[in-house]
Parts: sequence; structure tokens; C-alpha cells
Amino acid sequence: MGTENTMHYLFAAYTAIWVILAVYLFSIQTREKKLHEELQNLRQLLERQSAKR
Amino acid sequence: MDQSRHKLFDSVLGGLLLIGMVVALYMAFLGAPREQTMGDLQRIFYFHVPSGMMGLAAFIVNCYASLMYLIKKDRKWDSLALSAAEVGVVFFTIVLVTGPIWAKPVWFVWWTWSPRLTSSLVLWMLYLAYMLVRNYVPDPERRAMMSAVFAIVAIVDAPIVFFSIRWWRDMHPSAMLETGGLSPAMWPAFLTCIAAFLILLIYLIRRRYFLESARLEAERLARLADLAR
Amino acid sequence: MLGKIWAVFQKDLLIELRTKDSLNAMLFFGIVVLVVFNFALESTRDTIRQAVPGVLWVAFVFSGTLGLNRMFASEKENSCLQGLLMVPMDRGIIYLGKTLAAAVFMLIAEGVIFVFSLVFFNLTVWAEIPYLILVFFIGTLGFTAVGTLLSAIAVNTRMREVLLPLILFPVVLPILVNAVEATGIILNTADYRALKLPLTIMTTFTIVFATLAYLLFDFVLED
Repeated sequence: MGTENTMHYLFAAYTAIWVILAVYLFSIQTREKKLHEELQNLRQLLERQSAKR
Repeated sequence: MDQSRHKLFDSVLGGLLLIGMVVALYMAFLGAPREQTMGDLQRIFYFHVPSGMMGLAAFIVNCYASLMYLIKKDRKWDSLALSAAEVGVVFFTIVLVTGPIWAKPVWFVWWTWSPRLTSSLVLWMLYLAYMLVRNYVPDPERRAMMSAVFAIVAIVDAPIVFFSIRWWRDMHPSAMLETGGLSPAMWPAFLTCIAAFLILLIYLIRRRYFLESARLEAERLARLADLAR
Repeated sequence: MLGKIWAVFQKDLLIELRTKDSLNAMLFFGIVVLVVFNFALESTRDTIRQAVPGVLWVAFVFSGTLGLNRMFASEKENSCLQGLLMVPMDRGIIYLGKTLAAAVFMLIAEGVIFVFSLVFFNLTVWAEIPYLILVFFIGTLGFTAVGTLLSAIAVNTRMREVLLPLILFPVVLPILVNAVEATGIILNTADYRALKLPLTIMTTFTIVFATLAYLLFDFVLED
């Protein structure tokens, strides 16, 4: 078990952690953007509907 | 919480998170001593174990929120339960990925049926099952109800699973030991990492919770728009 | 209260005994599992007695899951559940009646599967039988205690039959682990004192989950 080998595994582990967290945060962010858009559209739609009446 | 205070809290939390993570990294790599038998590889421990602890904390939050939903029937608790479960799965994924990466060079196997790792696997599967239940119940109220019931079953099951596996392990011991030993010099790094991950936990659950609230709001508005047509 | 439990239990029992659909499927599936394992473990002929507890309980669990799947399916299809819910009784009673019925069917299947396994794996067991019956009984009760509740949950989803094993197996692991160990202890060593721990865990599991399910069943059945 050479030191060089160990470092590879250590690097792999920390990379894995960052990748997992980054993917999750990215997915949340994407969903947030989509929802923000949808909320805007819905609010505009409701305003137009109440303006018609 | 009104918008401006909400935004302020978010920024403060985000800032704390960033600082916390940097400090944690520093402590894990430079602030902690080099372990005797495993060398630098042991440093995985500083992120592996706090992930596990926070995953467990997330599931406890999920259990509490599920119970509250069953009692109060307020959708907010269901949103919290969902958020906590999802974040818990993320943390346990980290545990299950870093575990084998640690085990391979040390014990020359990818998987050890140690009680902690195996229980982590089972807990992870239980919460994936929770997400599956949520995925396949179409009606929102029923979904909240079913998943809350399942969550409670899962959390009651967890300790029994742990003890069963531990006992089974005693019956069929293997050569590998789970390292529990922490020398006193390692504690500052360990505690720092726990703190950093705690902030991460709160940050993630919060963010996911507000996403879910926004989704519910969109649903509500969509229904209003339909009615007004 | 016992009378009501008995009534629900009898109803499920009679319905099933009339057609024996579920029971046949359970028996057949269990025996198929035995045969498949026999081929899968061909290379370990000598040590097959070591593998028997595991094989047995896998067969039991798969067979039992099949039975549980069908338990609420017919009720849902024929809207019998609404009828049942109109009777003024504690929802938990329905749970207890159904659990007992499921346990009985699973035990019947287990008995037959076990006899087949004696033949397939060339085992002779005489003195061990009372202990085996005890382990099978408690293990099955624990399994159906959780299974009935989760089956009621799964039947609400779009993926009924597929979802039940996915959510049931992780929860039921303690029973499986302990039952396999206990069966192994009985078959391969005669150290009956070692049975105390697995039997205690299984009994605890059964009591804890039966109580929990009894309390939670109300929430699952709201229709």
C-alpha cells in the first residue's frame, strides 16, 4: 500500500463528495429556475383573467 | 418569515457554509495528524462519518415531520419530510460511495459487511423506498399520508436492523474492524467537520423545503387559473 | 373485539380457500425457487446443508410476498374495501384479521415448501421439528405484521405488485437475518440455547410492528 496509491483513493473520495453535492445542488437550482418561471407565468395569467372580469 | 429577512438568513447561511467547508477541509488535511497505520487515507474519515451522522439527523427530522403531518395534517410538514428524506439520501449516498473507496486500499475489499456500513445501506434503501412510494401515489393528500406512515415504519425499523446486523456480524466475524479509535489530536478536526456538515444539512433542507413550497404554490395558482376559466 | 378479529380473519380465509388461487401460486413459486437454487448451488454439493436456511427463507419470503400482493388487490378491484369500512369497528381490527389470515396462508405454504426442501436437499429432521415450527411461526408472523401494512400502502400506488417487494424487503431484513440464523442453528448445530437471541429479536420485531401497524392502519385506509 504505497503512499501514491493512497493519495489516489483520497482524491477519489473527496471528488466523489463534491460531485454528489454539486449534482444535487445543481438539480435544485434547475428546478428553482423552472418554478420561478412557472410562477411568473401563472401570476400574469391570473392578473389577465381578473382584468377581463 | 418575510422576504427580506428570508433572503438575509439565506445569505448568512450560505456564507457560513462556504467558510465552514473551507475550514473543514483545512482541518481535515492540515489540522489533523497523519494516522499511523492507514496514512493520509484515513482523512476520508473526516467527511465520511459526519455525512453519516447528518444523514441520520435528516432521517430523524423526516420522522418528526411525518409524525407531525399525521397529527396536524398540514402540508408544510409533508414538505419538510420530503426535503429531509431527499437530503438524507444524498448524505447516505456520500457515505456509501466513500466507504468502499476507503475500504479498498485498507482491507483490499470494496465492501465490508460491517454493522455501520450495512445499516447505512439498509437505511439508504429504506429512504429510496420512501421516495418510490411518494413517486407512485398520484393524489397529494394520500401521498403525504402513505409516505408518512412508511417513514415511521422505516425509522422504527432502523435500530432493529442495526442490532440484527451487529449480532449477525458477531456470529460471522471477519478480519476487518471498523476503526472507531480517534486520537485526541484528531478531535478538533472531527468536530469542525461535524459543524460544517451540520450547516450543510440545514442549508440543503431549507433550500429543498422552499423549492417544495414554491411547487405547492404553483399548483395552487394553476388550480385557481383553471377555475377562473 | 376478538370476535371481530375472528370475523375478518374468517372472511379472508374462506374467500381464499374457495378459489385457492393465491395459495397455489405461493406454493408453486416457493418450490420453483427451491429448484432454481438447487441448480444455482450445484457446485457446492457438499456444503448445501449450510445454504439450506438461506434458501428456505428466500423461498418463504418470495412466496409470502406473492400472497401479500394479492391480499388487497381483489378488495380494491371489487370495492369490497368500502363495504368493510362501513362496518363500525376500529380499523386496526381489519389489520389484525388480515395479518392473521396472511400468516396462516404463508405458514401453509411454508409447510409444503419445507417438505419439498427435505426431499430436494436430502435432509433428515425429526427432533428439530418443534424448534423449526417455532422459528417459522414467529418469523412468519413478523413478516406478515409488516407486510399487511405495507401491502395496504402499495395498493394505493400505480405500481402495486412491483412496489411491495421494494418497500417490504429492506424493512423485513431483521426478521430474515434472524430467521435464517435461527434455522441454521437448529439444522446445523444442536446448540438450542443460542436460539434465545434471534427468537427474542424476532418476537420483539413482531410485537413492535404489529402494535405500530395497528395504530397506523387507520391512516392508510382512509377512503
